[in-house]
Amino acid sequence: MSPPPSGRHRVPFLHEKRIEREADLLLAEWTAKGNPVALPIPLDDLVELHLELTYEVEDLRERLKDLGVLGAIWFDENIIRIDTTLDPREHPSMLGRFNFTLAHEIGHWRLHRAHLRANPDEAMLFETNAEPAFVCRDGDKRPEEWQADAFAGCLLMPRPRLREAWAEWRGADDPLALTDLDVRAVHADRKLNENLAMEQFCRPLAERFAVSAPAMRIRLQAMELLVRELEPRLF
Amino acid sequence: MGQRKAHFGTMLRQRRLAKGYSLRKFAELVDVSPTYLSLVETGKAEYPPSAERVRVMAELLGEDPDQWTALAGRMPEDVKGIILNEPEAMPALLRAARGMSADQLRELTKQIERKNQEGKEP
Repeated sequence: MSPPPSGRHRVPFLHEKRIEREADLLLAEWTAKGNPVALPIPLDDLVELHLELTYEVEDLRERLKDLGVLGAIWFDENIIRIDTTLDPREHPSMLGRFNFTLAHEIGHWRLHRAHLRANPDEAMLFETNAEPAFVCRDGDKRPEEWQADAFAGCLLMPRPRLREAWAEWRGADDPLALTDLDVRAVHADRKLNENLAMEQFCRPLAERFAVSAPAMRIRLQAMELLVRELEPRLF
Repeated sequence: MGQRKAHFGTMLRQRRLAKGYSLRKFAELVDVSPTYLSLVETGKAEYPPSAERVRVMAELLGEDPDQWTALAGRMPEDVKGIILNEPEAMPALLRAARGMSADQLRELTKQIERKNQEGKEP
């Protein structure tokens, strides 16, 4: 898919809080139907049974002739497709990335579908001849992709559930500082080493939520449970 | 064969969702990958699921295993064995029965069962 016209974004700005509210709302809709929200979050049920979207795992790289694609969504056909390279049965280490990609596509559905419907010019640019509305690749930081990533983080690791799991795991709800971790000089880049140390630390929590360690690290940092330095205390 | 595969796939997805099984959950229960289950549901799988897997699918979904095995383009394992045990007489019987209606076949089955029963009685 070609990039959006220069100087224009396909989607309006959305504040992180608004994105988190939308993820919480989706979970609330699911529980209102009498369904439990156990961990890990039942993403597949949300997609197929609640949102009633068709969901397939297939060779998207071949379909879209794009080697970097991980997932895509077709608004007109109500279909989410995830690339087979993330299939967690074939590649168990990909479970976290599979879940994140699926949650990311749900993010496009919840955050962007209405906007594209209301702005047919935008939709026409990207959804013609059975082309997907959004094609998602690793590391794509355009606003719509950033927003869908933020939504995925909030959906997979809901704030109250993560706080609860953190407190249970740590024995306290205090944040943890990087200074308490063993940062090894694996790479020349200090920040990369710090991220690796944090990811190593939060791996057990990541497994509980069936997300990757980087996804858990980013969410814990956003919730200020993992911090680079502790704020000095007044007392 | 293409139409059969597409029909089976569509029916499988409909029944799976009606029973509340998600793609990954159902794939896990029948011991296949989500990718393969997607291929079957979209009629794109090179080979249909094995007769044993179709039986498990049918049982999970409360469907008739023999009917589903046929819809999937497979032959139940026991039927395969029956034909192989009587490689001349059994295909001849099937060929002779070809073209009969379902009701006629059921009646014939009852007659065969009665005959088998008589043979067992002292």
